[in-house]
Amino acid sequence: MSKLDTLVVPQVDSLVVSIAPPNLLRLQGTITMQEPSRVLGGFLRAVHEAVVADAVRVFELDVTELKFVNSSAIRLFLDWAGWLKAMSPATYRLKILTCRKFTWQKTSFVAITALAGGHIELVAAS
Amino acid sequence: MRFRPAWVYINGIRDFGEFFCRTTFPDPEVAARACVVIQETLENAIKYSLDDNSDELELEISASKTKVEFSVTSSPDRLHLDQLKAELNLLRQADPEAAFVAALERAQREPDASARLGLARMRYEGGVELFISEVGNSRIRFTAIGQL
Repeated sequence: MSKLDTLVVPQVDSLVVSIAPPNLLRLQGTITMQEPSRVLGGFLRAVHEAVVADAVRVFELDVTELKFVNSSAIRLFLDWAGWLKAMSPATYRLKILTCRKFTWQKTSFVAITALAGGHIELVAAS
Repeated sequence: MRFRPAWVYINGIRDFGEFFCRTTFPDPEVAARACVVIQETLENAIKYSLDDNSDELELEISASKTKVEFSVTSSPDRLHLDQLKAELNLLRQADPEAAFVAALERAQREPDASARLGLARMRYEGGVELFISEVGNSRIRFTAIGQL
């Protein structure tokens, strides 16, 4: 069993979190709670560590149905970019599947990708 | 619209603002921009409101032919007001995109500190310029004005 298989997804109002091993995490809904890092930060860090442990080469983060987030939630993705950048060398590439119709994804993920040291790829999936 | 500074109201008010802008303005981007501005403005006002049961937030949305304006009047603590002014002065030194990237870089450099992305996000993603004025009785009006 992969390490990703063992993770327990957090239960969050207005957000559906699902994992599809071996290499996909899907976030659907909205993230607008007051302290998203407290609820989701540890989980995303665990996903990152599981991906490294499982020796996955390309991991997909599907946010095509993540309609809206607050700026505190943008920090979650920025942190993930920081973890990748801090790895020397990074053992995997994060492919973020985005949706063109959500403006926040365009503005935030393009900027975050630029700060990830080349380890994030954006794909407009819908 | 007037209401107590409580987090639980934000989603409903943002949804109303989105509906209002989508119904009122022909450009659908205005509604998306409104969501960002309303969310971040209310979050700031609620986080930093004085811990006082009598406090009340007031949100106004108005528009002319060329501009849309969102303003929130609240009673923040004095320290927050000073920090808000300093942050706005910093942001105005760069264009909205560059200021947003700089805010992301700062947040990445300081992983344990508060992200402080909201104002920069409003300017860049919301396409608004931001202003603060003191309106008496320790209340401030935070205004975001964008082109239509």
